[in-house]
Order: sequence, then structure tokens, then C-alpha cells
Amino acid sequence: MAGKKMTPEKMASEKTAVEKQGLTTNSRARKPRSEGTPDNPLAAELTRQLGSKKVLHQLSERLNYRYDAIQFGVTPLCVVLPESTADVVAAVKVARAAGIPIVGRGAASGLSGGVTPLQESLVISFTRMTRLEVFPERREAVAQPGVVTLKVTEAARPHGLFYPPDPASFRTSTIGGNLGENAGGPMCFKYGVTGDYVKALEFVDEGGDVHRVTREAFDLAGLLIGSEGTLGLMTEATLRLIPPPKFTRTLMAHFAEVGQAAEAVSAAIAAGAVPAKLEFMDRACTNAIEDYLHLGLPREAEAVVLVDTDGNDLRTVDAELELVAQACQGAGGVVKLAADPAEADALWQARRSISPALGRIRPQRMNEDIVVPRSALPQVVREIRALGDASGLHLVQFGHIGDGNLHPNIMFDPRIEDEGAVHDLAHKIALVAIRHGGVLSGEHGIGTMKRDFMTDAVDPVTLQALWNVKKALDPAGRLNPGKILPEQPGGPHAHP
Amino acid sequence: MNNDIPVLALGPQGEVMAHAVDACVHCGFCLPACPTYALLGDEMDSPRGRIVLMKEVLEGQLDLQDAAPHLDRCLGCQGCVSACPSGVPYGELITAFRGWSEPQRRRSPLDRAKRYAILRALPAPKLFSVAARVGQYAKPLAPALPAALKAPLDLLPEHVPAMQPSPPVTPARGQRRGRVAFLAGCAQQALAPNFNAATLRVLSRNGIEVVLPEGQGCCGAAALHTGARDEALKLVRANLQAFDPDEYDAIISNAAGCGAGLKEYPVVLHGLPDEEQAKKFAAKVRDISEYLNELLLGGELQPFMPARKPLNVAYHDACHLAHAQKVKAAPRALLKAIPGVRLVEIPEGDLCCGSAGTYNLEQPELAAQLGQRKAGNILGTQPDLIASGNIGCHTQIQSHVRRQGSQVPVMHTIEVLDLAYRGEL
Repeated sequence: MAGKKMTPEKMASEKTAVEKQGLTTNSRARKPRSEGTPDNPLAAELTRQLGSKKVLHQLSERLNYRYDAIQFGVTPLCVVLPESTADVVAAVKVARAAGIPIVGRGAASGLSGGVTPLQESLVISFTRMTRLEVFPERREAVAQPGVVTLKVTEAARPHGLFYPPDPASFRTSTIGGNLGENAGGPMCFKYGVTGDYVKALEFVDEGGDVHRVTREAFDLAGLLIGSEGTLGLMTEATLRLIPPPKFTRTLMAHFAEVGQAAEAVSAAIAAGAVPAKLEFMDRACTNAIEDYLHLGLPREAEAVVLVDTDGNDLRTVDAELELVAQACQGAGGVVKLAADPAEADALWQARRSISPALGRIRPQRMNEDIVVPRSALPQVVREIRALGDASGLHLVQFGHIGDGNLHPNIMFDPRIEDEGAVHDLAHKIALVAIRHGGVLSGEHGIGTMKRDFMTDAVDPVTLQALWNVKKALDPAGRLNPGKILPEQPGGPHAHP
Repeated sequence: MNNDIPVLALGPQGEVMAHAVDACVHCGFCLPACPTYALLGDEMDSPRGRIVLMKEVLEGQLDLQDAAPHLDRCLGCQGCVSACPSGVPYGELITAFRGWSEPQRRRSPLDRAKRYAILRALPAPKLFSVAARVGQYAKPLAPALPAALKAPLDLLPEHVPAMQPSPPVTPARGQRRGRVAFLAGCAQQALAPNFNAATLRVLSRNGIEVVLPEGQGCCGAAALHTGARDEALKLVRANLQAFDPDEYDAIISNAAGCGAGLKEYPVVLHGLPDEEQAKKFAAKVRDISEYLNELLLGGELQPFMPARKPLNVAYHDACHLAHAQKVKAAPRALLKAIPGVRLVEIPEGDLCCGSAGTYNLEQPELAAQLGQRKAGNILGTQPDLIASGNIGCHTQIQSHVRRQGSQVPVMHTIEVLDLAYRGEL
């Protein structure tokens, strides 16, 4: 006896309200189905349990679930596109019974090889789990993992709220992927990263059991956030929303040398400024962006800094911008204020496009994601610049400099440049960060790209503690194997 | 993206394809811009996914027949090209790939007959006109017909207008300030002859002499984008013969798809002896809105009469204008130059309406989903008038707007300008 208020039609019409916010894959369009009979028992069993619409088993379908935005891995045996937590549970149980590893995947815009399967696996792609509800009275949104990040803010905006974590890929990336990598973005200097906005999580463990956790007692949610799908599969998140600031001001400053930009940042923060966003890009970045957007960025400058200040009191917002402007000028920079919101938007679109635009330099790259103490920034960016110059490789730098989170990227073409040299330079950069008291990852995760450097960054006892956590939640090592933790030579879990 | 595409074996078009695959860094920024990804939600039906599929086929790792369903679902709207920070020329890739793969495709006899009919009828205005008239009488039978025949009938307007052939030369009114060549288009002449009539009137009023060079024909885009490369090459070369770029200030098209097709000639002829000629030709090609906007910017455009009452005009970006030709500002600037016109932006404006050349004939289901979505988005802005710069979009939008019960007029941008000049807007 279903109550009238809960008819499927009503639920569907409520959902439409959210769908209209923008593109979504939660469409009623007929989904393509895998034709023919699955050629492996895993796919056959999954098709039997979930139906052919949710299971992809043909080679042409599976091939495309082996990459993220940085790396290609092994073609999965089968791909499941779940539409509910129950589908995820079923898929996990089937994979477990078959002894097949599981790799969870969002939009695959990640930059550390996090969702590329390293062996024949089951890929669970969450792009069809796109339910999103906003509860303005609680300042909360409840999102399934396939919800595109920007959609949360779009759905919250009519209620006078927004969702601050804003990775550069937020038009593409999903909440599930952001949780997996604990993604940040330009806003994170003042407002924090994904993990700071999670109130509760639902996840499916390696055995197929469903858990709902908050941040109380052991912060199990905190443990899963940033675990890159190695500890559990997140199927729903309760996210915190906040009211947006009334005023925002934007400035751009350019410098004749990269270290000057870092000095300006340190000086501004020391003077008491807490900008909403504080970003940096070097000359190679501005030129790649200029080739794409033609905004009139200063092509000759060695470094550009982009800054937003915001708040509810215009005088404070302006005063804070003035502090930053003075710090930039003091360090030898040339300051330009954005004339209007459209100009500010264009500058931020430029910043968001850096990463893919770098493809214009070389088709492949090694992406770093180091975080260093802000006091060390001028020294660190200069050391990295010098390493790049000495290597003869194309090294570029950008990042959330306000947080000390830098993204040195080595651009290369494996047909021209030696991959060994690339790896070598990446290692040297990681060591610079560690030497200055920094860490290997701010927001992109360790994945496969920085796994080898973990033994430099984390002492053996702590590494063992991480292995113990992994073993407690995923004893058979079936969840996204080969990511984050380096193999322990001769250790008990060397081949989990 | 690393690849082992055998460029030497594939020839000049192989270079075009390998270059595009090289440029892709598989970042996924294209995903939200792709209409089929929005509807289907899987990687194979996204631009990034299709690039990988094409790469695998070209490398011999994947059977063409397995990749084909996903590649066929691509509208060719190039929304992904606008969204791509890496500058991947996706449009060039898919066009070249379709040309390369078509001869190897296994198609059913019905499928082949349909493609043959489309490719014969589209470039021949008279034949198309006859077909449209026959179709008009068959319209009441549509519900009983199979989808392959129902789709084209659904798209036909209630009344197919009489053909109005354009004069070979339209003199400039007043002092002559310029001389342009005009591509008259194909299907458009049969379905919407007023587009051309309005174009000639507006140009002439602005002191521009308009010539329709003899021997011109279809731009070849429809053939090219469906993989009929040999057919397309014949049409392209006929036009290169007919239009001498040195003789005109510009070569004008008023159909976004055709304009994009003309601008693509250098890529089509890449590596062939007539490539240089194609470059010279393409450099002269302008969409009608681009050309008029250049006059507007130079302060040389005749002023419009004000609209009789304030009008909300929803401007729809045709994919081949906005994404393929990067013309977005010009038509907006022209419409805004009409006193009394308020331009309204359409939500999800960058998303294709589903028309996309022959797409609504080949993928009617997806095309209809997109048409419905577009009409809903447009009507949500409560427009008094809908303007766009492409015959395909025009037909698709009109059909879906009517289906949603609205009688709001749908016009080509040039028709709106023409009405404004005559004080009839």
C-alpha cells in the first residue's frame, strides 16, 4: 500500500527540478545495452544479477574504462554502471566471489593514476548515481557519488547557499571522485577541502556490507576520504553548505621572476590577509592558456598570481585586496584589478584550464602535488625552477600557492624524451618538498604516480600503520590494489 | 595521447587524425559539453571515449564494427571543441575517420538505401523540393511507418513553400560599397526560401552587390560528415572552380553547417595539390552574421527601424556557428542593435538541439530527446521570438516547440534583421 505522496511520478518530478540545473547523466534516455553474450563468467554473472543495461562487457565498452586524466592502465574485465547502493552491493559480492579486484571510478578526471586498473578488474563507474537533494534548513546536501561537483552549488544557490570545494575540473569531476582524492581547489585556502564539508558518508565495504558513518567516535569517514577507493566504495555523502559571501574582488599581479611571486604571497599572508583564493602560474602556463583563451595575459611575465578576497563587508574586502596589492608591489610585481565580474570570471576560467591546456606543450606529463610550509615557498619554487632548467625537460609550475600546494608538472613526449629522466626529476622535486617539511599530495592523491616516493615521505613505522589500516578494512587487498602504499619488500602483505 | 597510428599508410588524412589523437590528454573537460554523454552517461559515448575508440581502430586493436555504434552516435556538434583546453581538433578527427572508415563499413541494404537517398536529395534543391512535397502528403501516414521513414516526415513543415530561385546578381542599393559571392545552399532553398531572399535584401540595402556564381553546388559537408568522402571531394572541387576568391570581398553563407563546411576545405584537401587554393578560398568565407557585424563595427551598417513593441528574442547558437566557426558574438550584436529587442540567453545554450545534419534521420531517438530538451529550455525563457542561424536547427526547434504547444515564431537571424529594416518586426 504505497502512500500517494511517494508515487514514482512524484519522485521523478522532484528529481527533474534538480536535473534542470545543468547537464546530468541521470536521463531517462534509453541506455545502450551490451549486445551478445558476455565472454567471461564475471560479466555473465553480473549481467544475470543486474541486467544488461548496467553491465558493459564488450571490448569497445571496456577499453574506455582503463584511464584517468594522466594514465592508461589495464582493460577491465567488466564495467558496472550502478544506479543504486543495492547495485553496488551486488557487484561487490559477485567480484568477491570471483576473486576479482574492484576499482571505483567517477568522471576519471583525476591526476595521479588513481582509477586506472593495474590488473584485470571490475570497474564500478558511478556516473549514473546522480541523485542530489538539498536541505536548506539544515544547510546540507545529500549527494550520490556520480553527482558532478558544480551541480551541488547550482542546486544550493536558489536557497542562498553554496558548496565551496572547487577543484579546477568541477564541471566534470564527481563528488565520489572528490571524496576519494580529498580534492581541493582555489577556494581551499580560506574555505578548506572536500573533507571539511563532509558530515556523513554511506559506504560499501569489501564484503558488500553497507555502513553509514558520521564524524563521531573514530572518524571512519575521515579515513575513507582521500583513501582513493582502497578502503571502501562511497555511495552517498551528506555535505555541508554555507552562505556565499556578499562581495568578491579579484586582482592579478605579474612578476619578472617566480620567487618574487612566492615572496609576495608570504608577505601578504604575514600582513594578515586571508584571501578566498590565492593562485599562481608560471610563464609556460600563462602562455598555454593564452593559446586557448586569448585573454591578453602577460606572456612575458615569469609568474602570475591571481587573488580573490571576499566577505560580507565591502570595506574589509577592499582593504584586504589592498593589503595583497601592496605585498605584490613590494615584491616587484605589477598589479591589475579585475574591472568587473566578467573579467574576474575570465581570469578564473583561465586558471581552471591550465592543467589540460599544458597538453599543448607535450602530450604527456608527470604531475606533482606537493605541499610545503608557506615560509619556505620562495625557496622551494626557486629550487624547483632550477632543477627544471638543469634537466633540459619542460617543467612548469602552478598551484594553490596560498596553501603552499604546488603542482610542478614535467611535460614530455615519450618518443623524444627519456622517461627515466622524467621520473628522476619528479623524484628530485618530491625530495625538495620533503626536505622543506612538506608532503607529497595536497589534493590529487598518491595513486600510482607518487607511490614510489612514499618511502621517502613516510617513515617505516607509520607506513606499517597505514598497511594495518588497509588490512583491517580490506584484508584480501581487493579494493583498488596497487595504489598509494608501496609494496613492502618481503613483508607479509607484499602480495595481498 | 600516445599512439601507434600508422600515419604513413593512412596518407594525409592519417596525419590529420594522428595529430588530433596526439593532442588529447584525456582530461575529461569535454564530458559535460557532450550531448550524448549527457543522455547516456557512459565513456564510450563521450568525446574522450570516442577519441580512444578511433585510436584503437586505427591502430588495429579494435574492430571497426564494434566501435561504430558509439561513433555513429556522435552528433559532430563540436561542443567538445569549444570546451577543450588542449585544442584537440575533434571535428577534423571524426570527419577524417568517417571518410576513412565508410568504405569498410558493413551496412544493411535498408541503411544503405537511406544513406544513398539522403546524399542524393540533400545537395539537389529541386529533387529535395519534390521529395519534400511528396513527404508532405505522406505526413498523415507517419504514425504507421517504421522509425527510419517516420523521422524525416516528422521534421517536414506543415506547408512546403514554393521554390524561389535567387537572381544571379543582386545589385547594391545606393552607393556600391562591396561585392560578395553567395552560396545559395541546398535543402534550405526548398524548405525556407525566405532565408535567401532576406539575405539578398539586407546585403543590397547595405550597398553590397551579391553574386551567385554559376556552377556552385552543395558545400559537401553532409557527404563529408557522413563519410562519403569521394562524393564530398567532387562537390568541394566544383565550388573551388565556381568561386574565385580574388573576385569578391567575401564568400557568404547563411547556413551555419554550410559555412563551417566551406571553412573546412583546407583540411579536406590537406596534402592534395589544391590545398593552397582551398586555403585562399576558406580565408574569404564569412557567415552572414559575421559579415554584417564587420559592417556594424565599422559604423557602416544601415540603422534598423525599432521593433513595434519590446521583444524578448531567444537566440539559439547553432553548433556549426558557435563551436565549429566560433561565431557567437556577431549575431548577438546584430540583434541587440535593433531598438526594442531584448536578447535572452537560453539555459544549456551550448548543448546541441539534436538536428546536426542528417543526425535526426540516422539517430531519431537521441535527436528527439535533445530536441525536446532544447525546446523546453528555450520556452522556459518565455521568448516572443526565437532566432538561429541554421536551417537544421530551425526545422528541429520549430518542430519541437510546436509539439510542446507553443506558436512562438522561429526565424533565421537574417529574417529578423530584414523585418527590422522593413519596420515589420
